Amino acid sequence: MPVSILPPSAPIAAQHLKREDSDEEMSDDDLPTSTSKSSIVTPGETITSDPQWMRGHGTYVPADTSTIISTVAGHLHKTNKLLSVQPLRARYNPEIGDLVVGRIVSVQTKKWTVDIAAPMLASLPLSAINLPGGILRRRTAVDELNIRTFFSEGDLLVAEVQSLHQDNTASLHTRSLKYGKLRNGLFTSLSGAGGGILSRRGGVVRSKRQTFTLNTAAGEIDVILGVNGYIFISAHSKTAQEQKDVSITRLEESVSETLYSSQNDEIQPGVLREITRVSTLIKGLVACGSRVDEDMIARVYEGAVELEAEERSLGGVERGVGAKGVVETVLARLEMGG
Amino acid sequence: MPLDTSTYSLALLRLDGRRWNELRRLHAQISTQAAADGSSYLEMGNTKVLCNVTGPAEGRQSGQRGGKDSEAKVEVEIGFAGFSGVERRRRKSDKRTSEMQHCLETAYSSLLLTHLYPHSTITLNVHILSQDGSLLAACLNAATLALIDAGVPMTDYLVACTAASSSTSDSSSESSDPLLDLNSLEEQELPFLTVGTLGRSERVSVLMMESRVRMERVEGMLAVGIEGCKRVREILDGVVKGYGKRFS
Repeated sequence: MPVSILPPSAPIAAQHLKREDSDEEMSDDDLPTSTSKSSIVTPGETITSDPQWMRGHGTYVPADTSTIISTVAGHLHKTNKLLSVQPLRARYNPEIGDLVVGRIVSVQTKKWTVDIAAPMLASLPLSAINLPGGILRRRTAVDELNIRTFFSEGDLLVAEVQSLHQDNTASLHTRSLKYGKLRNGLFTSLSGAGGGILSRRGGVVRSKRQTFTLNTAAGEIDVILGVNGYIFISAHSKTAQEQKDVSITRLEESVSETLYSSQNDEIQPGVLREITRVSTLIKGLVACGSRVDEDMIARVYEGAVELEAEERSLGGVERGVGAKGVVETVLARLEMGG
Repeated sequence: MPLDTSTYSLALLRLDGRRWNELRRLHAQISTQAAADGSSYLEMGNTKVLCNVTGPAEGRQSGQRGGKDSEAKVEVEIGFAGFSGVERRRRKSDKRTSEMQHCLETAYSSLLLTHLYPHSTITLNVHILSQDGSLLAACLNAATLALIDAGVPMTDYLVACTAASSSTSDSSSESSDPLLDLNSLEEQELPFLTVGTLGRSERVSVLMMESRVRMERVEGMLAVGIEGCKRVREILDGVVKGYGKRFS
């Protein structure tokens, strides 16, 4: 029987036309030579039926065909003969060497389980942390009994992914003075924006420097960008700096006293305000679909401070609402300035 | 001034002024909740549904591993808002709700590429804000959008809509008129089915019928339902592509 379905009488028609255009584009060139920047592929969309291409992440090949079909909505990437689709948003997928910020979920006999926003909880063995008390030493039965004195449930920490198990469960380590318990600051989670995907336009990307210090009017603040989309912004820890002057052999020892402390220091209200400002700006950057890295944060922060000063003196600057509005205004100004 | 609907039946229009093969207004948004891994909001006429996806993540009880050994488990929870229907709901869950949950769970465990996330759990939270027919279809469509937003790999869109067979015409199979996308008034009157298909193909993945209907009519209802699904897919695809432009 002949069946024709009428569209609902709504403005959807315009969108529909555009979609067809992009569809033709894809099927026309059987070799997807250039990633068309404007369009994305969606699940079930045929990318190519040419057998010369290999399938990568985000694609699948149905049984007994050579057609490559996308499984996620995202941008198409081509690496030599490998076709992969990077999703617009996805949960973080751990890789060895990633710097991540995590939160302790539970304490077990010889390890902690840590939430790092990955599909599975990560584990942090007792043997993979810096034990206090001077030189690197072997863990003892006493340490096992006192496991909660190092990290207990709900503690935040910064760590590195040491290895991956069969089912993609990560194993972490904090065997460096850069890593360890976090305090004196503010935790921010950017959901779906982590993962350091190749040319992801928004969110945290893997970069040379994931931790850096930002100079503000009120004082220095530390920013730790976890690749998993968890971010920690804290007052700059002076102790570490001061103790660099102490002899190198005593370094471990002196640090250890404060290493596993859960007590926050007194922080000046001015510093607290700047910490909150940076955190809000980072959320605004993600809302704008912009990438989050050291350079971007520093530039947007300066722009936002200028904007506030202007607002004070002129009594109102034209800008959008909320963090997104501020970031958009600052980004527009940066582009105009070059 | 109330709308004059007296001529609708003469023009073979339905109660709400649609033709037999017309969908209701389908409005959808994606990524509505910033904190969720994936989220969507979908309106099919006056049926309004909100869907949040958590995961793939570790299951709620620690120690309890996800589904089968090497696959992720799909969990679905459907919540009705107290104000969603004509009558206020008292009981939190009933058999109909749990059947819908089971339907979504089985449909998505076969659709999603769950083998990529061993031992983990994907949780779908569906909130029904307003009910006006085609409830299961709206839940399926909203869940598909939310899962796309969460970046969970799936073989194709799973889209659904309802089709009915009007009993006004006489019972011979030729002249029974199928109807597409029912509202709640039509659902009460007519035998109907919910059909969910995979994307552009005509592969039926979900088929649910709770009322009695003559065998001969089912084919016509299915044909209309499948065509309607194709249309719904185009609309949902448009929503996803429109959202993707933000990132370009």
